[in-house]
Amino acid sequence: MNHLRQYASSLLAAAAFSTGLGLSAAGAANLTVARSVDADSLDAQKASTTQSLQVTNLIFDTMLTMGKDGSVHSGLASEWSMSDDGKTYSFTIRDGLKCHDGSIFDAAAAKKSLDRALDPATLNPNLSAWGPITGSSVDGKALKVSLSEPYGPFASFLTSIQAAFLCPSSFATSDFKPIGTGPFKFVSWVRNDNIQLEANADYKNANPLIENPGKPHIDNLTFKVIPEAVARMAALRSGEADLVEPSLEEATDLKSDSNFKVYAAELSGQQMLAAFTWKIMPLDNPEIRKAIGMAMNRDAYANIAFEGLVSVANCPVAPNLFSTDEALCATWGAKYDPDAAKAIMEKAGYTDEKPLTIKLSVHKLPGWDQMHQIMQQDLAAIHVKAEIETREVAAFFDHMKGENERTEGVPVVWTMGMSGVDPDYLYFLWKRPGFVNMGINEQLDGMLEEQRKLSGDARAAKIHDIEKYLMENAYAVPLLSPGWGWLMASGAKVEGFKMGFMVSLLFNDVTLKQ
Amino acid sequence: MLVLISKRILMALATVILVIVLSGTLIHVVPGDPVTAMMAQSVTATPEAMAAMRSRLGLDQPVWQQVLIYLWHVLQGDLGTTIRGNEPVAMLLLERLPNTLTLAVSGLAIALAIGIPLGFLAAVHRGRIADTIVMVIAVLGVSIPAFWLGLIMIQVFSLKLGWLPVAGSSWRNILLPALTLGLTYCALVARMTRSAMIEVLGEDYIRTARARGLREHQVLLVHALRPALISIVTVVGLVFAYLLGGQVIIENVFSWNGIGRLAIQAMLERDYPMIQGFIVVFATSVVIISMLIDILYGFLDPRMRQR
Repeated sequence: MNHLRQYASSLLAAAAFSTGLGLSAAGAANLTVARSVDADSLDAQKASTTQSLQVTNLIFDTMLTMGKDGSVHSGLASEWSMSDDGKTYSFTIRDGLKCHDGSIFDAAAAKKSLDRALDPATLNPNLSAWGPITGSSVDGKALKVSLSEPYGPFASFLTSIQAAFLCPSSFATSDFKPIGTGPFKFVSWVRNDNIQLEANADYKNANPLIENPGKPHIDNLTFKVIPEAVARMAALRSGEADLVEPSLEEATDLKSDSNFKVYAAELSGQQMLAAFTWKIMPLDNPEIRKAIGMAMNRDAYANIAFEGLVSVANCPVAPNLFSTDEALCATWGAKYDPDAAKAIMEKAGYTDEKPLTIKLSVHKLPGWDQMHQIMQQDLAAIHVKAEIETREVAAFFDHMKGENERTEGVPVVWTMGMSGVDPDYLYFLWKRPGFVNMGINEQLDGMLEEQRKLSGDARAAKIHDIEKYLMENAYAVPLLSPGWGWLMASGAKVEGFKMGFMVSLLFNDVTLKQ
Repeated sequence: MLVLISKRILMALATVILVIVLSGTLIHVVPGDPVTAMMAQSVTATPEAMAAMRSRLGLDQPVWQQVLIYLWHVLQGDLGTTIRGNEPVAMLLLERLPNTLTLAVSGLAIALAIGIPLGFLAAVHRGRIADTIVMVIAVLGVSIPAFWLGLIMIQVFSLKLGWLPVAGSSWRNILLPALTLGLTYCALVARMTRSAMIEVLGEDYIRTARARGLREHQVLLVHALRPALISIVTVVGLVFAYLLGGQVIIENVFSWNGIGRLAIQAMLERDYPMIQGFIVVFATSVVIISMLIDILYGFLDPRMRQR
């Protein structure tokens, strides 16, 4: 009997052992993501593209994190405070934070990372967004940051994927190694082909958008580059990729197919708007600009050009960001009213026989092309003859720099998009000379400077003033949100995938249903 | 022969230098620079910060100065570092060059393997049904866009049949792009082979060979095909040179990690050192191949040595 029991026990143990082995072998969850382009760098302080920051955001953490409502939460810092004069911030670094190479991430490490981010030699494309930092110091577990003047967007910026904190071992030698404290460890990168990451077993999450408190459920994460949308979709359908960037047309089809899921980054922080070369007649007249805004059928752009996968945005700042109040903005902006718009244009002397001739200057993006075609028809209905000029993105912005300086010639209506985690991107756009020379005037400059020095409700009120000014004077017509690279699609077996601010990809909660 | 080789080498060097100077100047004429391209996705830089970045990258210097500095570095064997990622351009190109070469050689091999027999067949059966069929295939091959053929290949072999992967740069991944390239270029090779064969078949020595009672297959394969292939060498060389730089569409469709894709990405990002590095490598390859063809011609046809 004893023998029998022993034999049975051995059998059970063997079964358990083999089952265990099977689980560990088959249970390694691997996820492959196919995107259209590769990262330009995995150095988060040098990377400039969303595709780069989507990856660096998995390797590195941020000092603070942001909730769905735009509220700021802890990150690498368990606590933080701002001095009464708004010029000094203190961040207490969480205990027990370990870098992927086993080194400790503490206040001293945070200071080294900050110093590098601010060093002009780093060529950090986001250097300006860090604000007027004059220095930093380590005080026990805390990193203290001094500013020359109050900088309201500072806490928000520290939650963004552009503000990653690197472990000093990353940049200890001239050969950069992506070593951070984030949920995934860097394994390998074959440029333009694939990036391999593996789950960080020691990870402790602080991001309120993520439910999983520890190590990501998946073990290995691969980013593949498949430039052609058709090939990416073939990879998804054949199972070669689990998650892909779909084309806009494919996303619509996939939405109605139960074998697939489509994700749209509602928290993208992306905002599309139309602007004017307002120094050129007759666009120097706010009434004409308003009429053009009133002719724009934004619902049609969202539902036809973007297949209903984006929303109409009312503010010059994207929804969900600090202070954004869509209902309030709706009271300031030009409402869709083509008849009233036509009446304004006719009063100004424009008719079908003598239309206002403008250029509609744009850059090429999926959905945007169709939107511009509808926009052209909208404008034609109010006696505005718009010739669409499409350029590739870098050439477009270079071209607009010149166009925005012109004071005579053919007036231009143009469209653009911007993204961020704080309304402070208004400052980079509109403070003279502004992004591609789109700055307006001294009054607006003053308001933009002022909002940076405020915080809380006072800052929110000032941002509303700026938005109201831009919209009532029709310098900007908010269009849609989001608008580029914001779609992902997966097979039905992928569960728990989320997209965060600035189209960050969150894999911590992802599980693969067998 | 030595004079011919020396002349060709000197001309090749002059051509590469001219290409560097011209391309270095022209990329600055294209609107948008690396800093504008960098800021296109997120607007987080003040104009002052952008100007400072331009200054650090040396983009504020006059164009002629930038071009001469670059030329000086290239002559010393330094292709510089990328603006995005700060990586050595030469290393990035060398990493991908084997992929591009492998694909170009494979595509060319398929093109020759299909194109030469087809052209031969068409020439031998000139004016008959076989000739018509081959020429129709050739016209189709030239007319069908490579990217369309590539996408069809993916749909059939990867999605429907599940035989081959959609994307990547492993040995299994080369079959579809190589076949696509081969099918695209075999049409050109077939037409060239046909023309060359028809020309040779009209020569007196072919008539003499037949009159001497040589077997037809000996006449065609030894006395006609061999000299006809000499003129195909030029086409092969040019096709190969074109494949080195011009297969970017195929690289994109099949996610093949070659230098073409690297170049396209660099162009969109206005990464000047990377673009110029690609041009230097591409121009050098074309010039070397042309030079080799000239020299090979010298060996194959003694009359060329006198020119």
